[in-house]
Amino acid sequence: MPKIYIDNRIVEAAEGLSLLRAAETAGIHIPHFCYHPAFPPEGSCRMCLVEIEGLPKLELACSTLVKEGLKVRTMSPRVVEARKGVLEFLLAEHPLDCPICDKAGECKLQDYFEEYGLFRSQFKEMKEKREKKFGLGRNLILDRERCILCTRCVRFLNEITKTEDAGILNRGIHSEVGIFESDFIDNDYSGNLAQICPVGAITDSDFRFKTRVWFLESKNSICPLCGRGCNITVDSHPGHARALRTRRVYRVQARYNPEINSFWICDYGRYGYAYLDEGREDRLVWRKGDRETRLSWDKAAQILIEKIRSLVLRGKNSRIGVVLHTNLTNEEFFLAGRLFRKGLGVGKLLLADPPPGKKDGLLLTSDRTANRRGFEELGLSAQAADPEALSGLDLLLVFGHYLASAGSQADLKGALEKIETKALFSSHKSGLDELFDFIIPVPVIAEKHGTVTNIDGRVQTFAPCLDLEGDGLPEWRVLLDLAKELQVDRKYFSPLTSLEAVYRALQKEIPFFK
Amino acid sequence: MASWTERRSTGSWRAWNKTVDEKVLTRNFGVEGLFRIEVYRRQNGYSAVEKALKNMTPAAVLDEVKKASLRGRGGAGFPAGVKWGFVPQSIPKPRYLCVNADEGEPGTFKDRYLMNHNPHLLLEGTIIASYAVGIHTAFIYIRGEYEAVALRLEAAIAEACQNGYLGKNILGTGFDLEVAVYRGAGAYICGEETALLESLEGKRGHPRLKPPFPASVGLFQCPTVINNVETLSNIPFIIRNGADWFLKKGLPKDGGTRIFGVSGMVKRPGIYELPLGTKLRTIIFDHAGGMKEGKQLKAVIPGGMSAPILTADEIDLPMDFDSLAAAGSMLGSAAIIVIDRETSILDVLKSVSKFYSHESCGQCTPCRVGTSWINKIVKRLARGEGEQDDLDAIIRLASNIKGKTLCPFGDAAALPILSICLKFRQELEGYLPHA
Repeated sequence: MPKIYIDNRIVEAAEGLSLLRAAETAGIHIPHFCYHPAFPPEGSCRMCLVEIEGLPKLELACSTLVKEGLKVRTMSPRVVEARKGVLEFLLAEHPLDCPICDKAGECKLQDYFEEYGLFRSQFKEMKEKREKKFGLGRNLILDRERCILCTRCVRFLNEITKTEDAGILNRGIHSEVGIFESDFIDNDYSGNLAQICPVGAITDSDFRFKTRVWFLESKNSICPLCGRGCNITVDSHPGHARALRTRRVYRVQARYNPEINSFWICDYGRYGYAYLDEGREDRLVWRKGDRETRLSWDKAAQILIEKIRSLVLRGKNSRIGVVLHTNLTNEEFFLAGRLFRKGLGVGKLLLADPPPGKKDGLLLTSDRTANRRGFEELGLSAQAADPEALSGLDLLLVFGHYLASAGSQADLKGALEKIETKALFSSHKSGLDELFDFIIPVPVIAEKHGTVTNIDGRVQTFAPCLDLEGDGLPEWRVLLDLAKELQVDRKYFSPLTSLEAVYRALQKEIPFFK
Repeated sequence: MASWTERRSTGSWRAWNKTVDEKVLTRNFGVEGLFRIEVYRRQNGYSAVEKALKNMTPAAVLDEVKKASLRGRGGAGFPAGVKWGFVPQSIPKPRYLCVNADEGEPGTFKDRYLMNHNPHLLLEGTIIASYAVGIHTAFIYIRGEYEAVALRLEAAIAEACQNGYLGKNILGTGFDLEVAVYRGAGAYICGEETALLESLEGKRGHPRLKPPFPASVGLFQCPTVINNVETLSNIPFIIRNGADWFLKKGLPKDGGTRIFGVSGMVKRPGIYELPLGTKLRTIIFDHAGGMKEGKQLKAVIPGGMSAPILTADEIDLPMDFDSLAAAGSMLGSAAIIVIDRETSILDVLKSVSKFYSHESCGQCTPCRVGTSWINKIVKRLARGEGEQDDLDAIIRLASNIKGKTLCPFGDAAALPILSICLKFRQELEGYLPHA
């Protein structure tokens, strides 16, 4: 690999890499606005100018490629002067309305402004008046005064969605981002525009004026809303001292993963985060006739185990039914298969999933759950759950609330009334709640540990980015507890004390996960 | 089809025609109906095409042009032969020639005269250049305002096709060439070569990031040669008379003559074809007839509006690329704008800053905001609302534009503004409130 010198440090960088990227690998940040690693260099913001020994002019770090022996200076007085010059130009026509700007706190213009200390404006003229809230598209509001014309949005629409909805209109100082009159930006990826905007020009009406970014805690997660498994960050609010927190999550953003989703996520994943806070089950309930008792999992497990044990002892294994869904993790499927199929030999193993949607050719898949591929790779097969399939059972364990849409409420009620013991392990409230004796809250993917397998067979590990509130516990814990108490295959289950141990066992047994 | 440009032009070149015998490009401008192919052929027209296509290999043509040290006449002065040599011959893509006839530089009007009087000369140069580089499609990108000239070019192309100089199998040599005229829509920036390509592709005229240079990735992502009208019009003479003859017309590193377009407060404004290296004083006072009655020289812009201004004391300069560069200005498009003492330098500054603010394409930050900011300050100065530090502010802003923009437009805007503010600071300070 060619060696270059950046600020007197020797940096080894791959041929064809830009100086900006090469510097980044060495931990040297070169300020930039228009450059975005997903697109070819644009070179229009002029912020990334650096000094290269032997060249009379300052050169762009975003478009100059690494060449053996290049001597680059990123912090020389000339470079700093040039940066200040560009910043001064950008700020001259900028409204400086950071106190009411949603980008404040994560705005590049603001960061560089602080860094280069241009606190006394020399601009005495009138600023150009521009549109402050132009409806650019679904959820997108463009503030043309804040816009620095980096054209990231235009290039995104040209190169990623290929819808070519936006362009630059007018010329010179009157240049502005615009859309064709009849062409409102309305595609499944438009939410990314607000994320790639380096300043507060494009804001998201979903997030606009809701909170300040510095209150948010950003944690990594994986989007469970389709089979792609896009990498995301979940930004949650820890709550204020004297204010009632109405929800935890304020936004979901794309997280870079070159193998899966690059820099993008679809709008379905971006705006579909309400499920994290709305309609959640939080109380573990035992319902007997009209009486509702709140109890602990240990108690509930005891009762359930008794019922299962008595059925197994009477040889009525076939009267036990289990309903799974494909938002469970690989580990949970593995345990479920081992416990219910091999260990207990249950009569019915069914699957209830949300109905498939349309795939869009880019990221969104038709599966609307995170781990269908994992379910298949683990060798589990299950019949689709519907009211008819629930006949002939004495005990039913249902994971997930998706069974609610498997048939009409009346049919489900009819089928479930015939079953003596019914336990529902669900993260969300649904029509099923009133039909079950046990309701045990469980976490969603953002609240637990585990791995999922995406549509292309990539296994991804995730950790909780939100706390599980209420009485619930993760499904893998439920399955391990049941296996332990029922004393199924003790030799096998006793070493499985942690999720890691489960995954190691899974890897050992199933070649796909090696 | 005598246009107004032709009628107006006859006066100045005829006056000069009697006195100087060194001209090349404008030699036959007096011949009636030169724009018609039969008249052009009677003046030895298209003989260079015959010589090149029938008796020379493309490599020999390229060599001859390289030897002639023909430097680009559009402004930058890049050697034409070297530019052609950059075009890769091994890529299995079509190659294109773009004739830059988007003559937008304020003060410049030489290409209009050349195309209007002698369109076939440009076509002949185009054919030879295309032959040398192996091009089969050429575009003439002409500024939208030159409607009459565009029509004349199209008529000339039709005539050339009929006579077998364009189209398939030119003169039976098996060489094909199509030429099309494309009219711009009036943006100055489209004279910048990469913006021209974007415009020709039907997009916004935004300059491209270089490298890659158009010679390797140009029009429709194919190797492209872009030459100015005057540059190409010189080619037939180089082929007909040889590189040595051409070099003798100019300077060792800078062959041929140059068409100087003189405008402003002189007695005989117009175009003057003179050897490179002619003194600026000679051009203004001998050829253009000196200052108008009662006017005194104050300043000269020697190479189109983007060239830094020269004061009256600096006009003993030879007009060639290197001498002007050494004097801190540039030959540019050799358009000489003569300014008299009664003209306020603030008015000059105002029109310069207004022009560049209006014509900035808006793509890159320093140019977009810088030109507009300077223009706002100058406008305020002109309203009599100037402040003490305004001149320093203009100089600082122009320095922040200079050398930091995506295309040469930034320098073209910053350099004249800087030179005006530095050289005429005293006069400009007179507009500040304390005076």
